[in-house]
Amino acid sequence: MITWVVVGVVLVLLALYVSWTAGRLDRLHARVDASWAALDAQLVRRAAAARAVAAHLADPRAAGPLDVAASAALEGAVDGREMVENDLSRALKAALPLLVHDASGDASLAELQTAATRVGLARSFHNAAVKDTRAVRLRRVPRALQLAGHRSLPQYFEIDDTTV
Amino acid sequence: MRLLRIGIVCPYVWDTPGGVQAHVHDLADSLIALGHTVSVLTPVDEPDSPDLPSYVVPAGRAVPVPYNGSVARLVFGPLSLTRTRRWLRDGRFDVLHVHEPTVPSVSMLACFAASGPIVATFHTATARSRALQVFGTALQPALEKVTGRIAVSPAARRVVVEHLGGDAVLIPNGVDVARFEGAQPLPGRPDVPTVVFLGRIDEPRKGLAVLLEALPELAELVPDVHLLVAGPGDADDVREAVPPSLRDRVELIGMVSEQDKPRVFASGTVYCAPNTHGESFGIVLVEAMAAGTPVVASDLEAFRRVLDDGAYGLLVPVRDAGALAVGLAALLQDPERRAQLAAAAHDAVRAYDWSTVTRQIVEVYETVALAVPVAVDPSFEAALPADEVDDDAGRLARALRRWMSELPRRGSG
Repeated sequence: MITWVVVGVVLVLLALYVSWTAGRLDRLHARVDASWAALDAQLVRRAAAARAVAAHLADPRAAGPLDVAASAALEGAVDGREMVENDLSRALKAALPLLVHDASGDASLAELQTAATRVGLARSFHNAAVKDTRAVRLRRVPRALQLAGHRSLPQYFEIDDTTV
Repeated sequence: MRLLRIGIVCPYVWDTPGGVQAHVHDLADSLIALGHTVSVLTPVDEPDSPDLPSYVVPAGRAVPVPYNGSVARLVFGPLSLTRTRRWLRDGRFDVLHVHEPTVPSVSMLACFAASGPIVATFHTATARSRALQVFGTALQPALEKVTGRIAVSPAARRVVVEHLGGDAVLIPNGVDVARFEGAQPLPGRPDVPTVVFLGRIDEPRKGLAVLLEALPELAELVPDVHLLVAGPGDADDVREAVPPSLRDRVELIGMVSEQDKPRVFASGTVYCAPNTHGESFGIVLVEAMAAGTPVVASDLEAFRRVLDDGAYGLLVPVRDAGALAVGLAALLQDPERRAQLAAAAHDAVRAYDWSTVTRQIVEVYETVALAVPVAVDPSFEAALPADEVDDDAGRLARALRRWMSELPRRGSG
């Protein structure tokens, strides 16, 4: 009798834990989705601003690579997004001295600076969300019971965004 | 610029002085000046006080709790829960900004109760939070709802990384530079080299004892030196720590109001921060710099950062009265160096002006505030229907009253 009561209590506790953890994972995944949406929006904004600014460069040899990198980022490669965005970061870094010279005081340069700052913020927040979610997902019970369902394990987004 | 509805939560009692309260107050004012809509939820001792800003929503009275080595007055309980939830529901905020969510008070409650874009600012640099130690795992689900983390100093940021994992964005505390700039000295002060100290005089880590220990040597190097001590605490204890021959050099003016603070700094030839440990930021250094008073400070990490390794002020070894006396004397006798430090500091404080700091914080808000607004967490709603019970009780009471008021008529009819 007592054994059954103990088994029952354990089962109830386990069920509570499982449903609570599933809810928690739901929330975490929603946070990752939101932080990715924010990061995606800021990356697009940065690429658009970079293309607008490229038009201000007097030297076509400098404007060309920046325009190419910005356009590639705007096309939004599904695979290798990090690589494309990193290329844009690098192109921006190379063009920055010229940009400050040619487009100083221009609204498009200010927009680029805002967008670049936001990319840094959004990326930091997204990676924190990924970290929190992975920490729960990779525990033993959630993994064994597949509490995250069919959702793929969130990935960090690593680029160099220390441009502007 | 998108105008936002912002809900801010301050965990400490609004009508007691404190760094976090001052920060929240100034932040709310400057956000409102930019056109945003702000509501601040916080424990309040006197909800009927006329000094209470119109944007403050009282979260109930606070109870004193021994916490992190001192007594914190915190709020926790069913009433605050109900109020927090109602505030979240009625506020329809675009973003929720909680301060110090690891302190067991309304910020933590708000984290539990809310869903949507949440920004959290971490102020403390204390490596160990009692609440995190005891309830770490239980708090994790609430803290992991935070979408954007801000730390006010590298030390605070390190605490976040160590305890919660993941990074935080560094945005310093703000100072209203214009309020300090060009401040006039207090009236009737003698025209002698004066060292200003500001802070609780009975709190050992503020380091007044080190300064008093340095006084005899300092008085030998600078014969007419005076010490102006501002801050709450027992003045007699301080006088006793000073040799009788030097007692007329020490002037204790007690606690000063926020309005008088700039004038206190302006009354000093130099400002001295002999703190021994436990400083997260050093906002008081920035205030002295804004007032144009050269700073002599302990070589603590937080101070070193504010003074940029000595470019904007003089750093002296921690708890070293001899070195402090020599450092103070050197600066008191060198007007050229003082002018040079004041000029460098004047430019450096721009980075801490509220106009700069608020812009950075709004950038964080705009990054996290997407289509989904702040709401009451559904799971929390289901787990605690206290508000509805409350409302039902109200409805029941109203129905009873109506029924009773109709009784005589029924009886007669």
